[in-house]
Amino acid sequence: MREAPALALRLADVSKEFGGLRALDRVSLAVAPGERRAIIGPNGAGKTTLFSLISGETRPTVGRIALFDRDVTRLSPHRRAALGLARTYQITNLFPRLTALENCLLAVQALTPVKLHLHRALTRYPALFERARGVLDAVGLGDKEGDAARNLSHGEQRQLEIALALAGMPRLLLLDEPTAGLSPAESHSMTALLKKLDPAITLLVIEHDMDVAFELTDRITVLHYGRVVADGFAHEVRANPLVQEIYLGAP
Amino acid sequence: MGGKVIGSILAALVLVATWGPGAAWAQKGPIKIGFLAPMTGGAAQVGKDMVNGLTMWLEEHGHIIAGRKVEVIVEDTQGQPNVALTKLRKLVESDKVQVLAGGLFAHVGYALAPKVDEYRIPMLYPVMAADDLTQRKPARWVVRTGWTSSQPSHPFGEWVVKTLGYKRVVTIGIDYAFGWEVVGGFQKTFEEAGGQIIQKLWPPLGTTDFAPYLSQVRRDADAVFALMVAASSLRFPRQYADAGLKARLPLLGGGTTFDEFVLPSLGDEAIGGISPLIYSAAIDTPVNRRFVKEYRARYGKVPSYYSESCYTTGQWINDAAKSIGGDVEDREKFLAALRKVEVPDAPRGPVKLDAYGNPIQNIYVRKVEKKDGELWNTVIQTFPAVSQFGKYKPEEFLKQPVYDRNFPPCKYC
Amino acid sequence: MTRRALAPGTPRIAIAIVFGLLAVSPPFVSSFLQALLTQAVIYAILAMSLDVVLGYIGLASLGHAAYLGLGAYSVGILATRHGAGFWVTLTVGVLLATAVAAVFGLVALRATGVYFLMITLALGMVVWGLAHRWVSLTQGDNGISGVPRPDLGLPWSFAHAIPFYYLVFTAFLVAFGVLRGIVRSPFGATLVGIRESESRMRTLGYHVWLHKYIGFIIAGGVGGFAGVLWAYDNGFVSPADLELSTSVEILLMVALGGRGTLLGPALGAGLIVFLKNLVSVYTQRWLLILGAVYIGTIVYAPEGIVGALRQWTKGERAWAGR
Ligand SMILES: Nc1ncnc2c1ncn2[C@@H]1O[C@H](COP(=O)(O)OP(=O)(O)O)[C@@H](O)[C@H]1O
Ligand SMILES: [Mg+2]
Repeated sequence: MREAPALALRLADVSKEFGGLRALDRVSLAVAPGERRAIIGPNGAGKTTLFSLISGETRPTVGRIALFDRDVTRLSPHRRAALGLARTYQITNLFPRLTALENCLLAVQALTPVKLHLHRALTRYPALFERARGVLDAVGLGDKEGDAARNLSHGEQRQLEIALALAGMPRLLLLDEPTAGLSPAESHSMTALLKKLDPAITLLVIEHDMDVAFELTDRITVLHYGRVVADGFAHEVRANPLVQEIYLGAP
Repeated sequence: MGGKVIGSILAALVLVATWGPGAAWAQKGPIKIGFLAPMTGGAAQVGKDMVNGLTMWLEEHGHIIAGRKVEVIVEDTQGQPNVALTKLRKLVESDKVQVLAGGLFAHVGYALAPKVDEYRIPMLYPVMAADDLTQRKPARWVVRTGWTSSQPSHPFGEWVVKTLGYKRVVTIGIDYAFGWEVVGGFQKTFEEAGGQIIQKLWPPLGTTDFAPYLSQVRRDADAVFALMVAASSLRFPRQYADAGLKARLPLLGGGTTFDEFVLPSLGDEAIGGISPLIYSAAIDTPVNRRFVKEYRARYGKVPSYYSESCYTTGQWINDAAKSIGGDVEDREKFLAALRKVEVPDAPRGPVKLDAYGNPIQNIYVRKVEKKDGELWNTVIQTFPAVSQFGKYKPEEFLKQPVYDRNFPPCKYC
Repeated sequence: MTRRALAPGTPRIAIAIVFGLLAVSPPFVSSFLQALLTQAVIYAILAMSLDVVLGYIGLASLGHAAYLGLGAYSVGILATRHGAGFWVTLTVGVLLATAVAAVFGLVALRATGVYFLMITLALGMVVWGLAHRWVSLTQGDNGISGVPRPDLGLPWSFAHAIPFYYLVFTAFLVAFGVLRGIVRSPFGATLVGIRESESRMRTLGYHVWLHKYIGFIIAGGVGGFAGVLWAYDNGFVSPADLELSTSVEILLMVALGGRGTLLGPALGAGLIVFLKNLVSVYTQRWLLILGAVYIGTIVYAPEGIVGALRQWTKGERAWAGR
């Protein structure tokens, strides 16, 4: 077993500029292993950009990022995934023409050496199928395994997003608005699903719906124009006048 | 038009003939000529000129050779060696032709030659001019009724020094084997006669913008020798004039720079261009005057050397077949007869083969002039009975490598 | 899988019939058709190899003729100059094409989309330029003629059309088997994943570039394999084989037959070879007919012929589904 790291995630003075636009401004963040943290903030605050920096899809303009005590600032996304990082996307990002099961197969083999095997058919790896089906069952898509991802309902696609992220058995999971576009009922079952996640998984959730955010997490970080304007336990943040102004004054 | 229709009709005829109860005239059926030419693609118009030439000869002679009916089966090479090879196979194996002819591009010629030898069926090359096809890599069953690329260049190079008095010449040649051979032949005799090639420029095949090359041309030259083909020929003279060179440096060229295929599309800027070739539509003999008039009446344009050569190829097959009493099925005899043919009165003048299977024929130095509103290649000098080896002994000549980009080397550059 | 049951084996029966015909018919057709079949089968190998890049990885390459050329020139040069036998030329041809693909991949795979198209086009032109210009080695655009029919060191000769056809057909079966194995392997699945969503593959933990690179190299190597056969079939190699038009043609074969289906591109290759050579015997309008076929495909079957058939029989392509 790996030695328990002091921090699952650490951002030190991270900034990101797109042309002249400063999407993130000297953001520092420390997330302990097993912590559940919500990132909230209005549209365009830089939340998704923050996730892309953590996952390695974009590089910070300045600042450093560490995963499980290891500096990953220059590491490519697949190397970070190998360290136990997984993410979902706000805008559904699946393999649209592949079936739900095939989507999950790609996800479960991603961190195994099997992915470079080219001498044997994929169907000859029953263990992969078993794991993929397990993941599908876990998110409640067990009976949809043969449907192409693009033919699933929006709610099911969001579930499949989660399944892909879970398939690699991550230690740190980034969920970008998991309930976006869901009906209240769907949103509810999604929340229930996420609450059942292994408590060992460190969780960062971007969430618009404050109720969901409070239900899933204990700590909240508020981003506003790329800056961390509040950071603390739910009740503290809720009481913060700036947060109230942002959320009530300027929707 | 004519070629296409005839091609399709003949193809249909062949179908009917092979499917129908053909056995009735199995013994002495028609003489079948398999003709390969690019009928689609960039060179389709040249292919049409070629088919027109052969068709015209056959029509003038009632499609009869040595008392036997003649069928021509035209196959489209698309200008590609592999298609040409496939069509060759079709003509020989499915259509069972007794003689083959045609082909335009040099690489097609090289691709076909070994196959023709394998099939042991005579094939006449009216156009494909690659030197080595009748020099260092001759094929036994190939009979050339056209020319070698360097053949017109040999007498011309010497003539340019001795008659025009030019001593320093810049060459601009399209950068492929045909260009190398035309320029190489010119350089060899030009320099042996005391001239100097002071610069060699090689625009790639397909070049249509010559400005970068024309701006490099050394102004201390006496003249420019240009070898253009196809689309390049159409554009070069205009750009040469636009670059202000026409007034300063006389323009000489290889035959295809100003041949009858491009002349109708050129403007007055081409006037004065001097080039050597085996043919000019302006050759002033009764035979040629009649040929040009008749060709124009049929096809509405002046015959190019492609048409003339394929016309004469019809004559060639006829003369050979006649000399063996029409027994073209005896291939060895037919091949020997083809090699012995002498056509004394082809539109281009007298033609016979040398020991290597390439015509000995007149080379005409032609100057572009305007007559009755049309551009013509007026003949200003005729070299009679020129062989592919020029004035050299074949054995001596063949010791040198085939002309290429760097042979002869540019000593005075 | 369950949905397969909707079209129980329909495609398989069709495939079996086509393969059966390919195996049995040659001795009974005219030698011209034999020649076309041989060419079609060689081009099928080439089209299938490009399908790995276009159909599976999802990158349109306009330089695939380069690998055909590398294989073909290996034969042309080694067989005519050094009297090399089939196995030597085959090994050199495939290795050379693989090695060149490994180098080209480094350059081309930095780009995607139309930039990838343009870079592969440029790289293809480099190989064409070498064939054209390196006259001492390639004899320039006169080409290399007189390539003998292959001698495999077996008790029978491949000098005649029919044995040679069966040699080519066997090579096709081998290439098909290998490529089919690869696209159905876990690695093959990753190529499809990359085609469907590169960013998702990356965050799942795939070294996307590496997978593309391996696929690109495999395509090059198999392309070289086709080139070796091509040279033996024609007995001739010239820069004309490497022209842009050849690359375009291969691309169209894949698109016409149905990219990402392997057998589709093979079918597309057959169709185009026959249209080009057979239809042009009957009419010089063959280009028009070919154009009409392309347009028809784009309008009525954007996924190609096999793609359309699969939709029609509801047999979704799936590697997990068997
Ligand atoms: N790739 C990009 N290029 C340019 N600007 C971007 C890019 N990604 C995000 N942005 C900008 O950065 C800001 C933050 O975006 P984002 O992180 O998506 O916000 P959020 O997820 O909080 O709604 C926005 O103004 C957005 O337009
Ligand atoms: Mg967002």
